[in-house]
Amino acid sequence: MERLKVISGHLLPRGPSEPLRVLRSCGSGSSVPGTGEEVVVVHGRRTAIGKAKRGSFKDTTPDELLSAVMSAVLADVGLPAARLGDVCVGNVLQPGAGALMARVAHFLSGFPETVPVYTVNRQCSSGLQALLNIAGAIRSGSIELGLACGVESMSLRSIGNPGDLSSRLVENDKARDCLVPMGITSENVAERFGVSREKQDAFALSSQLKAAQAQNSGRFDQEIVPVTVSVTDESGRESRLQVRKDEGIRTGTTLDGLSRLRPAFKPDGSTTAGNSSQVSDGAAAVLLGRRSAVEVLGLPVLAVLRGSAVVGVPPDLMGIGPAVAIPAALRQAGLSLDDIDVFEINEAFASQALYCVEKLGLPLEKVNPNGGAIALGHPLGCTGARQVVTLLNELRRRGRRAYGVVSMCIGTGMGAAAVFEFPGPQREEGGRVAGRT
Amino acid sequence: MMATKTFRCPARHGYAVEVSPFVPQRLACAASQYYGITGSGSLFVLDQTETGMVLVRSWEWGDGLFDVAWSEANEHVLVAGGGDGSLQLWDSANQHAPLRVAKEHRQEVYSVDWSQTRGENLIVSGSWDRSVKVWDQDLSRSLTTLQGHEGVVYSTVWSPHIPGCIASASGDGTLRVWDVKAAACRLAVPAHKAEILSCDWCKYDQNLVATGSVDCSVCVWDLRNVRQPVSQLLGHTYAIRRVKFSPFSQTVLASCSYDFTVRFWDFGGSRPLLDTVEHHSEFVCGLDFNLHIPHQVVDCSWDETVKIYSPACLTAAARSAAS
Repeated sequence: MERLKVISGHLLPRGPSEPLRVLRSCGSGSSVPGTGEEVVVVHGRRTAIGKAKRGSFKDTTPDELLSAVMSAVLADVGLPAARLGDVCVGNVLQPGAGALMARVAHFLSGFPETVPVYTVNRQCSSGLQALLNIAGAIRSGSIELGLACGVESMSLRSIGNPGDLSSRLVENDKARDCLVPMGITSENVAERFGVSREKQDAFALSSQLKAAQAQNSGRFDQEIVPVTVSVTDESGRESRLQVRKDEGIRTGTTLDGLSRLRPAFKPDGSTTAGNSSQVSDGAAAVLLGRRSAVEVLGLPVLAVLRGSAVVGVPPDLMGIGPAVAIPAALRQAGLSLDDIDVFEINEAFASQALYCVEKLGLPLEKVNPNGGAIALGHPLGCTGARQVVTLLNELRRRGRRAYGVVSMCIGTGMGAAAVFEFPGPQREEGGRVAGRT
Repeated sequence: MMATKTFRCPARHGYAVEVSPFVPQRLACAASQYYGITGSGSLFVLDQTETGMVLVRSWEWGDGLFDVAWSEANEHVLVAGGGDGSLQLWDSANQHAPLRVAKEHRQEVYSVDWSQTRGENLIVSGSWDRSVKVWDQDLSRSLTTLQGHEGVVYSTVWSPHIPGCIASASGDGTLRVWDVKAAACRLAVPAHKAEILSCDWCKYDQNLVATGSVDCSVCVWDLRNVRQPVSQLLGHTYAIRRVKFSPFSQTVLASCSYDFTVRFWDFGGSRPLLDTVEHHSEFVCGLDFNLHIPHQVVDCSWDETVKIYSPACLTAAARSAAS
């Protein structure tokens, strides 16, 4: 788009959002074709989210889950894997963030050896970070198409060995705070910002209800890739089953039931198993590309990545991450909170999710309309990518041009957020709209 | 001050306006679909009424239109420059296809101008292909192609005083003055460190040229001494898209900008900024003084409007200049 580049060049950058203003003003009509340089999401799928240790994926290695989603995404759009410039996989608990596991998954999916892969660990944001990394490679021109994935088996690996840390850690407050258990950071947020037990339980109930409603009305059917796995029960009997439904959703949750749960991290605390995210297994994959390359291949454009941000916050209050990351990402995208139709804010804990919602003044109906990690589960490395898949499917379901945000807090004190635009149903089909009205 | 007259052209984003040299109430506007980034273009001929404007004639073109100039010889004829590299000659008495289309430039034509010195009847065009072309009034073919700019050419303007003399402004940051007969560049002024989107000659002093740049400044240059500008006019907060000298006052000029405003300046005084007009909600790209109606100004903007108005500062400036 030569003309757009020329005009953009006339705008002296006064802040990161300035050059994007031209793009935004040009995009104010939904029938305006986008610039070929944009990073677009082509498609995304996820596995169901299984309950760790007791659920259907408890004996499934993460490479199997990852392979299932990678294959499904490419098969759905008919793209040969050889076309991928790179693959990035978010993972937290596997040794070396699953670098070897990911390469194995590649070959299980029949990818040619010519396609590279690497993994990334930014704790709970890893799945989103993988997407931002692929987007960055596309923007810098080193690849045209890439797969961003996330996977975690919390059945087979636990948050355990923190690694080799300096003994000086104990003398450094912030470094020491990095070892604070996540549940305690939730208590810190609840206490510091006055998020009551009642409010947390109400939020948790809402998550369960929304997720149950979504599941029952079939909203997740399109995005979930059925995976056939083996499960060994206590008596040692192995069976094969096909998993196609999220297992974390507890229909029949009541406020009363939630209020009876004992605090899980601190004797007089407010964070319980019922208002925290669940430990889970799952995988998700998102196909991204430069718009010009995507259109040449006749692939559809599901959404456009409009902005992103990663920020740092106090490690002992890590849950406030989204409250800082979301405004930063919106600034980068040249948008305001009011422009956003749906927020997918990871529910690590009801305390922090609620704090962020209230701090930003978000209407609750815009937040996690299909439930969140409290009901669905939080497979660490997978979550970011899973939220993107769920968000974009929801925007597409609503059928009109809209903006959505994916955000999460990050253990050791960070927050990440990304802004997506769903261009509207008529722009989904592959190829440029000629724009003659 | 008279009320502002507004013409709305839905889905068309104005790039240039020019008042007819013959018909006081008539103006032409070159506009493009999709902000000129892609899509088609439209050329409008408008007549002002007491309260607004009426459409006299309009034509569609297959690519965006970026500049328009009225003929100085025939009151019905206009020339427009298009994104497809073409110049088209149009006849406002005739609804049909253009009189002539000339396609020599290899990239967008961003500027067209019709020479005002009598007996000349030449057209000049400036293009993103870095060249400046001179044509006869029939657009049969270019008479001269002037090469030298090292960046896209944004603006090409005939001197109203010196026959065969053109000023051009370019993305290479230079203002150039050309001698058509010799087909040579007489002067290259490194006027700005950023792209220069517009230039215009002073109507009273043949040595003065103004430039408007991406660096948000308007500079007035005396071509006899180009080491520094006569005046540097600061105030705009985004790139300047067009500059125009007043036909009525030696030191008054106007500029319009991506900052949505039109500003009026008198560089003869100690406080040059006379007024800032903020009646647009998008980039303002087109600007012209009405040489028949003193102090009346026409502009057009990407906000799909053309506006005619009479800023009070111009009447005041005339009064103070006269006293």
